[in-house]
Amino acid sequence: MIFTPKRRWPAIAGSVTAAALVLTGCSAGGGGNSDAKTITWLVDNTENTITYAEKLAEDFNAANPDIRVEIETRPQGGDGDNIVKTRLATGDMADVFSYNTGSLFQQINPEQNLVPLTGEPYMDNVSDSFKPVVAAGDDVYGVPVGTGSAGAVLYNKKVFEELGLSVPKTWEEFMENSRKIKDSGTAAIIQSYQTTWTSQLFVLGDFANVAAANPTFAEDYTANKVKYATDPAAIKGFEHLEEAYKAGLFNEDFASTTYPQALEKLANGDGAQYPILSFALPELKVSYPDQLNDIGLFPLPGDDPAKNPLTIWLPGGVYLPKSTENVEEAKKFLAFIASTEGCDSQTEAVGANGPYLVEGCDLPDDVPTAVKDMLPFFDDETRNSPALEFLSPVKGPALEQITVEVGSGIRSAKDGAALYDADVTKQAKQLNLPGWN
Amino acid sequence: MTAAIKRYGVGILAIAVTFVVFVVPLLFMALIAVKDRREANRLEFSWPTNFSFVENFQEVLSARKFMLVTAFINSTILTVVSVAILVILAAMVAWVLQRRRSRWNPLINFLILAGLIIPPAVIPTIWVLQGLGLFKTLTGLIFIEVAFGISFCILLFRAFISSIPKELDEAAVIDGCGPIRLFFRVVFPLLKSVIVTVIVVQSVSIFNTFQNPLYFLPGDANATVQLTLFNFQSQFTTAYNLLFMNILLITIPPLVMYLFFNRQIVAGMTAGAVKG
Repeated sequence: MIFTPKRRWPAIAGSVTAAALVLTGCSAGGGGNSDAKTITWLVDNTENTITYAEKLAEDFNAANPDIRVEIETRPQGGDGDNIVKTRLATGDMADVFSYNTGSLFQQINPEQNLVPLTGEPYMDNVSDSFKPVVAAGDDVYGVPVGTGSAGAVLYNKKVFEELGLSVPKTWEEFMENSRKIKDSGTAAIIQSYQTTWTSQLFVLGDFANVAAANPTFAEDYTANKVKYATDPAAIKGFEHLEEAYKAGLFNEDFASTTYPQALEKLANGDGAQYPILSFALPELKVSYPDQLNDIGLFPLPGDDPAKNPLTIWLPGGVYLPKSTENVEEAKKFLAFIASTEGCDSQTEAVGANGPYLVEGCDLPDDVPTAVKDMLPFFDDETRNSPALEFLSPVKGPALEQITVEVGSGIRSAKDGAALYDADVTKQAKQLNLPGWN
Repeated sequence: MTAAIKRYGVGILAIAVTFVVFVVPLLFMALIAVKDRREANRLEFSWPTNFSFVENFQEVLSARKFMLVTAFINSTILTVVSVAILVILAAMVAWVLQRRRSRWNPLINFLILAGLIIPPAVIPTIWVLQGLGLFKTLTGLIFIEVAFGISFCILLFRAFISSIPKELDEAAVIDGCGPIRLFFRVVFPLLKSVIVTVIVVQSVSIFNTFQNPLYFLPGDANATVQLTLFNFQSQFTTAYNLLFMNILLITIPPLVMYLFFNRQIVAGMTAGAVKG
């Protein structure tokens, strides 16, 4: 636009407006095959998710040529929660959508917003350990998509081999191993407090040990009968974090290390052990494909070598909102996701990053070592426990700040646990849970 | 000696500050954008050992079925149309408000201020849009951007119009000028400097808007450029090289605009600052 000839101004402004409005009109319309019905699927924007979602959509379309699945994406975290809630509240949700299971699932008001899937034939394929985390009242509402994960320690097998170490079954063995690694000049435990959520694993990943010591912990916790600060098993997570810090076992720059940098240290053997979610495996696979099979996995160790259970994270669910007009098509798609063809299609797209929760789904032989390490725990129900967030709606928002403080020696384990209990109280009161007021 | 220090010292200091504040981040962005993924994840300010500009560029452009291209088209339409409506509408409202005093003025002024004070809520806005049949359309989002920006623009225009002598209008009316012609031929051209200010401020904010398209214009076909950033960033995996390449690409249009209209923008800003 040129500013000198003053008279042209209105003309230019007017024509630009007109032209743009015409363009708007064009872009609002959309082409479409009149025979094929299109359903939309809202997924989160992780590289991994999008890749398998597109593959699922493609394979489903190949099996059902009259239905097309279109992928929509949303961010993760708080923004993503808001989008899901907003779109449900305004009746504008996609025909099917993926969302978390467990406590976040309870927050989207399933009984009011979702179509129950309890009697559907394909629900028989869904693993029984998955159903409770997508259930509200008497009904179940979702099918699993993606794989199960673990909150555990990823370790570099090469470092362990060089030093002749074996996988620890108890906390004492873990500390002993760590001291040996430290003496050899390698960082024993990697921590990455620049990315704060990674600091929580000592506490969250320890839950299987808590549940092994006290099988009713989750229920009692929801009912405000036990506390992290006073339960001798539960406070262990905080204490272990403090102990590891005091023993100087962390990498020197733990306060400023980011999550990707921590993964680099682990892959290159600059650090030996990294307590993290196994969600890290897809990232390791993309960034460090050659080192992927040097990485193994073991549960965060507790006191009892006989139990040594793994804390598992269940995959997200795919749900059917009441607002959809294409219920039949959407149900066909859900059936496809909860079938062996569905898992195979995901494996083909992204490889298996953990076990599936659909009956009859086998993993290929070339899964990463860390996934192989995970499998025995998934197969035996006595050797795993879902993380606390799948069993109880009570989870305070400030845990990551508190664990950073405890892990940096700013706050003691006892204070940290007490502070977390106070943080949780606010959350529980907001949810209006019985026993908290 | 002191005079020389004053003369050069201040200049050098200003250049140094500019360099640190503006050039270093831009350079950092460009460097990360040409690294490969593994190196980029370290987020270091270093020379890339492995140039992968072409790969990154292709991958960013073709991600999610060329979403970035759609997004550029959408964002351009959104910005151009919204700013055009804002400029003309706000100037008209401001002119009438300033020139014609009536007992409605306090109420209208209150409503304009309310537009600045009261924070917009997402769900009621969506209900209104659904009622009008404008939800999930670019037209709807354009109206939202206009609604969010108009209070600020009216205030700017009003302040400026108050400095234009009323005699100018009267002379035009005596010469037989109708109201529409009076506005477009006499008043509008006089507003040039403040129009530039409005165009710059509003285009930047509308081009950069993130929350509005996220909530009011869902769907991949409707993506705007800021939303494409989410293609490469997530909680557990982030491809920093692609993320920064994307940022670099969407920073270019405003940068080019600034290079071309540099002089007008500065003139417009200062004119607005003194008189507005």
